Amino acid sequence: MLKKIAGVVTLSCIIGGGLTAISTQASAYDGQTCVAPGNCWEPKPGFPAKIAGTKFDPRHSPKELAKQSISIAAMEDRNKKRVDAFKKTGNFVYEVNKLTD
Amino acid sequence: MKKLSAAASAAALILVLQGGWGSPAQANDKLNQLSQSDDNWVMPGKNYNSDNYSQLTQINRDNVKNLKAAWSFSTGVLNGHEGAPLVVDGKMFISAPFPNTTFALDLDDPGTILWEDKPKQNPAARAVACCDVVNRGLAYWPGDNKTPPLVLKTLLDGHIVALNANTGETFWKMENSDIKVGSTLTVAPYVVKDVVLVGSSGAELGVRGYVTAYDVRTGEQKWRAYATGPDEDLLLAKDFNIKNAHYGQKGLGLATWEGDAWKIGGGTNWGWYAFDPGTNLVYFGTGNPAPWNETMRPGDNKWTMTIFGRDVDTGEAKFGYQKTPHDEWDYAGVNVMMLSDQKDASGKMRKLLTHPDRNGIVYTLDRTNGDLVSANKIDDTVNVFKKVDLKSGTPVRDPEFGTRMDHLARDVCPSAMGYHNQGHDSYDPKRQLFFMGINHICMDWEPFMLPYRAGQFFVGATLNMYPGPKGDRQNFEGLGQIKAYNAITGNFKWEKMERFAVWGGTLATAGNLVFYGTLDGYIKARDSDTGELLWKFKLPSGVIGYPITYTHKGTQFVAINYGVGGWPGVGLVFDLQDPTAGLGAVGAFKKLAHYTQMGGGVMVFSLDGKGPFDDLTVGEFAANK
Repeated sequence: MLKKIAGVVTLSCIIGGGLTAISTQASAYDGQTCVAPGNCWEPKPGFPAKIAGTKFDPRHSPKELAKQSISIAAMEDRNKKRVDAFKKTGNFVYEVNKLTD
Repeated sequence: MKKLSAAASAAALILVLQGGWGSPAQANDKLNQLSQSDDNWVMPGKNYNSDNYSQLTQINRDNVKNLKAAWSFSTGVLNGHEGAPLVVDGKMFISAPFPNTTFALDLDDPGTILWEDKPKQNPAARAVACCDVVNRGLAYWPGDNKTPPLVLKTLLDGHIVALNANTGETFWKMENSDIKVGSTLTVAPYVVKDVVLVGSSGAELGVRGYVTAYDVRTGEQKWRAYATGPDEDLLLAKDFNIKNAHYGQKGLGLATWEGDAWKIGGGTNWGWYAFDPGTNLVYFGTGNPAPWNETMRPGDNKWTMTIFGRDVDTGEAKFGYQKTPHDEWDYAGVNVMMLSDQKDASGKMRKLLTHPDRNGIVYTLDRTNGDLVSANKIDDTVNVFKKVDLKSGTPVRDPEFGTRMDHLARDVCPSAMGYHNQGHDSYDPKRQLFFMGINHICMDWEPFMLPYRAGQFFVGATLNMYPGPKGDRQNFEGLGQIKAYNAITGNFKWEKMERFAVWGGTLATAGNLVFYGTLDGYIKARDSDTGELLWKFKLPSGVIGYPITYTHKGTQFVAINYGVGGWPGVGLVFDLQDPTAGLGAVGAFKKLAHYTQMGGGVMVFSLDGKGPFDDLTVGEFAANK
């Protein structure tokens, strides 16, 4: 189902016998050029395929990027303790520091 | 009036002493059974088809003009009231935005509050909510011989809470989302079998989205599926997209992102769910990739913007169809999923799923395998896509309306609000018509670069919004539509313009009526066949929820939340003036405050206003004899 649309530069064409320059720009992104099934993105004209090291690189901090997964793991751990205690005692306690072994 | 407590639940204690943590029969059949009764409205969408359709005919197109207020209830909260109440066995359960108060009322005497749950929350949650402090409603689990019936709710500060439906006491409470990293909860939980599904919010703060299933009896996490990242995090089934390999299959949750961008890539799900007991699949959509600035995240950004069909027992995705690869406009794909069984254009009976998306396309899929059946423009003014290629499933983008750094995109339709947002629409099976509440809003969009800081807004675009081409751009009115759509023919049987967005959704009934609320504060009823306006009533405040209907002691009632707010009302609620504030909503809805003001509650209607207070002794003080 992959449809290839040439994203090549069109320099000129002849219309009505005359030479007319119409574009020096690559075909713009229309989402129809797929490198693999489900992978059909391509850079827009004038933009890089990879932004790392370019002016568009947001240079995210790895420490910031890790915060969500750390937070989720901690929540899951606390929830597990709540559930284990709830199952064991039938007494639901939210505050993990009040749970007894 | 119960006190919220994180302490012991006596009911739960009895449960354990009875040895009750085994696996009693699933309560799903009971919930399904309850949903079939016209006395109840037990879940968002009314039933697992999520069609907001009622067989009731007592109120019909011939007599709807006699509809009058029967009673009302104020929640005491003035922010936007999305969603709708639940009605179960003679009780109404009402939810409110932050601080997410819940009320139980007896329909025999709705003037007396049976119980109230007013949780204490970290007020910092308000600061990381993207678009007002809304909540989309409650879920109900009917209980069994060992566990009491439960009302499930989400809190803006990220908790999922189970309340004893009889008393309002907290049964359990779990952490689902962490506001310190920008993750909140606004979604209505969804009960299937004996699990409750909970989504996530916060893509505007770079939150990586996930959906989680919890055991209703204990709060134990059963499974969690992310929208981006490794296949094992995504819970992709071995045969994922086996029938539609061209949608993409394995490895794309990483391969369609550059570097670690998937870790802050959005794809939260805060919309609506549907469930088919026949396929055992639950259906929902993931939202926009983060940040909005597309230049900062090269790739198709899978599996944001995706309609998923997941096995409800395991969470495994059987299919995923990405509607908007590499989103450039914030077309978060979380909207309503409505299930129907219809003959397709070739006459073959199909099990269908219909989803009006923010991107301006209304999609219909075969819900057994994800086959794309139809994909039509919600309005002919959609310009970001020329069409959707039904063979490849990809939208054919018009580069003129794409967005990118160092470029101001103008007159992009739809706006970031979409031509359809979180409204819960309806489907009339007799007419094979979907009744859709529509936004008619376009925008200008200019991206900017910004760093990611956990817990801070991570959008990267400045927006100006204004009415679509059919609206009044001089006066900023004509921002909405109501339409009747046939998903097989692709035709619209009728359509009407509205002054503002029809944000909350619709209700269809066998009484040949379509009900809906408007942002400027009307509840309206139209003829299902023609769209003719038959009745309306001015509510105390604007509407961003959807109407429901039920019978109580033989009388049909129509109920609707009022309380303007949400994204379209954010300027009014927070008194904002900059037209680009509120992610562009302030400018678009600058006239809204001329028509309505803040409020919050429920209004209930019946023919001639018949109701519990016809008996003048109801609600009266009875003196000692």
